[in-house]
Amino acid sequence: MAAKLWWMIHKDLISECRARLVWPAMLLLGVVVAVVFSVQMDLLPEEKPRMIGGLLWLAIFFAGMMAIDRSFAAEREQGCWEALRLYPVPPTAVYLAKLAVNVIALAALQCVLIPLFVALSDVPLLAYPWAMLLVAFLGNLGIASVGTLLSALTGGIRQNGNLLVLLVLPMVIPVVLAAAEATRLIALGDFGPAWWRWTELLGAFAVVFITAGTILFDFAIEE
Amino acid sequence: MQTDAVQTTGEKTARGEILLHVLVGALVTAAVLAICLFAPTEKTMGDAQRIVYIHVSVAWLGLLGFIVMAVCGVLYLLRRNLAWDQWSQAAAELGWLCCGLTLVTGSLWARAAWDTWWTWDPRLTTSFILWMLYCGYLLMRAGIDDAHQRARVGAVLAIVGMLDVPLVAVAARWFRGMHPAAPTMDPTMRAVLLSSVVGFTALFAVLLVRRRAQLRLEHMLDALQRRIDLNQLEL
Repeated sequence: MAAKLWWMIHKDLISECRARLVWPAMLLLGVVVAVVFSVQMDLLPEEKPRMIGGLLWLAIFFAGMMAIDRSFAAEREQGCWEALRLYPVPPTAVYLAKLAVNVIALAALQCVLIPLFVALSDVPLLAYPWAMLLVAFLGNLGIASVGTLLSALTGGIRQNGNLLVLLVLPMVIPVVLAAAEATRLIALGDFGPAWWRWTELLGAFAVVFITAGTILFDFAIEE
Repeated sequence: MQTDAVQTTGEKTARGEILLHVLVGALVTAAVLAICLFAPTEKTMGDAQRIVYIHVSVAWLGLLGFIVMAVCGVLYLLRRNLAWDQWSQAAAELGWLCCGLTLVTGSLWARAAWDTWWTWDPRLTTSFILWMLYCGYLLMRAGIDDAHQRARVGAVLAIVGMLDVPLVAVAARWFRGMHPAAPTMDPTMRAVLLSSVVGFTALFAVLLVRRRAQLRLEHMLDALQRRIDLNQLEL
C-alpha cells in the first residue's frame, strides 16, 4: 500500500519535473504577490510584524491555489482519469497521494516566499525556525486537505474556472487566520498560550479535513 | 366513484394547506405586531433595538438552512434519492436569503449600536463566511446539468461546509469579539423574541415545503420533456 502511494506521488512529481506545467507559474505568482504586498507595506519597522503574517499567508494561499486547482487536471486532460480510478488502490490512497503532492508544492512555495518576505520586510520570521516550520506544515495540511477534495469535486464541472478559489477561500478562513496569527506571534517572539491555541486550531483543522477527505473522496470522484 | 374519492382527498389537502398558510401568516403578523407595538423600547438604543428580534430570527434560520442542507446531503449519499437533493436545494436557497438578511440587519444594528456599518465581529464574520459558502454551493450547482452529479457534488460540499462552520466560529471568536453575548433581557422582550423566532421559523418551514414541491414538479417536467424528445426521435 505504502509503495503504491509512493508511486502515485512519484508519478506526479516526475511529470511536473519534466513538463514544468504548474510550479514555475505558481512560484512566479507568489514572488509577484510578495513584491506587490511589500511595496504596499510601507510601514514603520515596529508595525511590520503585525501585518506580515496575514500578507504571507494570503500570498501562499493565492499562489498555492494554482497548484491545487491543477491537482487532477493532468489525468482529466490526458485521458488518464479512468486509469487512475482503475488503479488497484482504495480512493482514500488516491486522495492521500494527491494531498501529499499538494503539500510538497505548497512547501516549495513557502521555501521561496518565507525567506523573500524576511528579506523584503526585515521581520525575523526565521529566528525561530522550528516554530515557523510547524506552523507552515500545519497550514499547508489545512489548505491542501480542503483544496485537494474540492479540486476533485470541481474537476468534472463545466465552466469551473475560478470556482475552486471561491469555494476554498471561505472554507480555509480558519487556517489563514490561525496561521497568520501564529506567524505574527513568531515575529514578535511570543510563544505564550495564544501561540499554542492558534497552532492547535491549525492541527485540529488538518485532522478534521483530512479525515473528511478520506471519507468523502470516494463520493467526490464518482461518475 | 374512485375519481370522486381522489377529488375529495385533493380538496381536503388543498383546504389543509390553505389553513396552514393562514396560520403561518397569522403567526408572522402577530410576531411583527409584537415587535412594533408590544416590545418595550430599549433605554440606550431606542427603537433601533427592535432590529434584534428580526436579526436573531433570520440568523438562526440561516444556520438551520445549512444544517438541513448538510443532513439532506448525507441522506442523499446514503439513499441516492433525488428528493433529498431537492430538500437540500430548497434549504440552501432559503438559507442564503436568511443569511443575507442577517448581514443586512446586523449591519443596521452595528450602525445604531457601534456607529459603524461593519465590524469584523466574530458572529458577523461567521455569518458572512456562511453566506459565502451558500453562494459557492449555489454557484456550483448552477454549473452542473446532470441531476445526480449535481446532487452528489452538492452533498459533499454541504457536508464539508457544515464541518467548517464551527471552526470558522472558533477562529473568529479568538481573533476579536465585541458582540453582545447573551444579554439579559426583559421578560416581555424575551417573549417577543420567542414569538418572532417561532413565527419566522414557521414561515421558513412553509417556504421550504413549497419550494421543494416546486423543485419536484420541475424535475418531473424535465423527465417528461426528455421522454417526449426520445419518442420524437424514435418516430
